[in-house]
Amino acid sequence: MIPLPQPDQETRFFWDACARKELMILRCNACHLYIHPPRPACRRCGSTDVGPARVSGRGVIHSYTVTAQPVPGYEPPFTVVLVDLEEQEGLRLVSQIVDVEPQDVRIGMPVEVTFRQASDDVWLPFFAWRR
Amino acid sequence: MATLRDVAIVGVGYSEIERRSEKSVTQLTIEAAAAAVADAALTFQDIDGMASYPGSYDSIPCFTLIDAAGIPGVTWFADISGWAPAAIAPVIDAAHAVALGSCQTALVFRSVKRNREKAPGVVTTPRVGGDMQFRAPFGDAMTSQWLAMWARRHMHEYGTTEEHLGAIAVTFRDHAALNARAPLRDPITLDDYFASRVVTTPFRLLDCDFPVDGAGAVVITTMERARDRPHTPVKVLGGEVATGERPDWEQWPDLTTMASKHASDALWRRTGMSAADVDVAEVYDGFSWLALCWLEDLGFCEKGEGGPFIAEGNVRLGGRIPANTHGGSLSGGRLHAISHVIECVEQLRGEAGERQVEGARTGVVTAGGGTMGGALLLGTNY
Ligand SMILES: [Zn+2]
Repeated sequence: MIPLPQPDQETRFFWDACARKELMILRCNACHLYIHPPRPACRRCGSTDVGPARVSGRGVIHSYTVTAQPVPGYEPPFTVVLVDLEEQEGLRLVSQIVDVEPQDVRIGMPVEVTFRQASDDVWLPFFAWRR
Repeated sequence: MATLRDVAIVGVGYSEIERRSEKSVTQLTIEAAAAAVADAALTFQDIDGMASYPGSYDSIPCFTLIDAAGIPGVTWFADISGWAPAAIAPVIDAAHAVALGSCQTALVFRSVKRNREKAPGVVTTPRVGGDMQFRAPFGDAMTSQWLAMWARRHMHEYGTTEEHLGAIAVTFRDHAALNARAPLRDPITLDDYFASRVVTTPFRLLDCDFPVDGAGAVVITTMERARDRPHTPVKVLGGEVATGERPDWEQWPDLTTMASKHASDALWRRTGMSAADVDVAEVYDGFSWLALCWLEDLGFCEKGEGGPFIAEGNVRLGGRIPANTHGGSLSGGRLHAISHVIECVEQLRGEAGERQVEGARTGVVTAGGGTMGGALLLGTNY
């Protein structure tokens, strides 16, 4: 069984948005820095006025690993990816790439979010090759 | 503020190191602690400080050892929790405590007995909170996966190859062959490396440390007291624990450089020394690539040149900077760097037998990967 997220006060918006098939990232309302994982303050300007902002869901693969042994919820092989979102340099999400053979995954590959249902109320943001 | 006192490591010891020990983790810890205290020609009555990094493994806190060993009382102790560079962090903390006079003689231990019910680091609960909620649902649950993505990025930017990673495994195995305590002593070739199963690319099984049950301990006291001990005192020249501005496995700005860079820079800045002063390096190798990154960030070669540097034999015994002379964690067993500390002490005392680095006077020991790094500089010529 896939380990499901346990949303908390700071992360609930993220998972709620995923269930609506939207990707939202916390952002500082004062200086517009995206903050992930979500923190209740902005590391750049110190503002505590932070809130969810919708992002495009587009990015490129920053790095990846093809896992060849089972982990909870997944049978090998599967490809864990680190995606640089296009909104901000160094803003990254962990995910998996879907519909691409492990040997074809490359750093720099353009990808786009695609949501997959993991349970009644949880949808996970996976990524697909943006050709 | 009290005057800082010079401090030295005066005793080292191991328990048995087995793939699967029948002994309890407390038995293993007492065994290592007693060996270290005896090595210093001291008794448990002389110990008045203690530190450990229990981590998330099946280890014990200081109190259990104090109670089990009949140590009458300590004036300083620390069980380090959370993320920390394994056995280096408590060694550095204990050195600070002795230097400040909080205690006179500290015992530091690291015990590792694998939990039979659950592989360490693997999430088995149905719901995952904290920052892991952004990893585990995607099948990203193991440290090997996190660091594999760092290694992959290093390969992408610098042309590091699988052959380079294989050279690390082969080199450390050759060193382990000269270490009677190492659990993996049969030499391997690059072919053996490529034949070992893939865990998570680019890491194969032979890129991963070898899980064992065991414990190691060291005794730290003032330089003044150290002079009366039987062995050459191994002076603590410096020790730094560091992270970077985004201590997060994914948001770390440059995945080709770990906190190893920050810890190394701090160590050289504080000691006024450099890699050029070092005779032997015991660098953390929970995964092969970590050793490569540490060697680069300590300055033994240029950034990005670690792969060719190792493949050319520079870190072999007899090479420019012999590294992981006991076999590291890859072949010497996963004791989370306490074995690296002990090996460095034995090298600097000139007691490393067949694997002795001739004339070794200064050694560096490191622990940690990714977002955390600890570096310790030891010497006998100061
Ligand atoms: Zn801000």
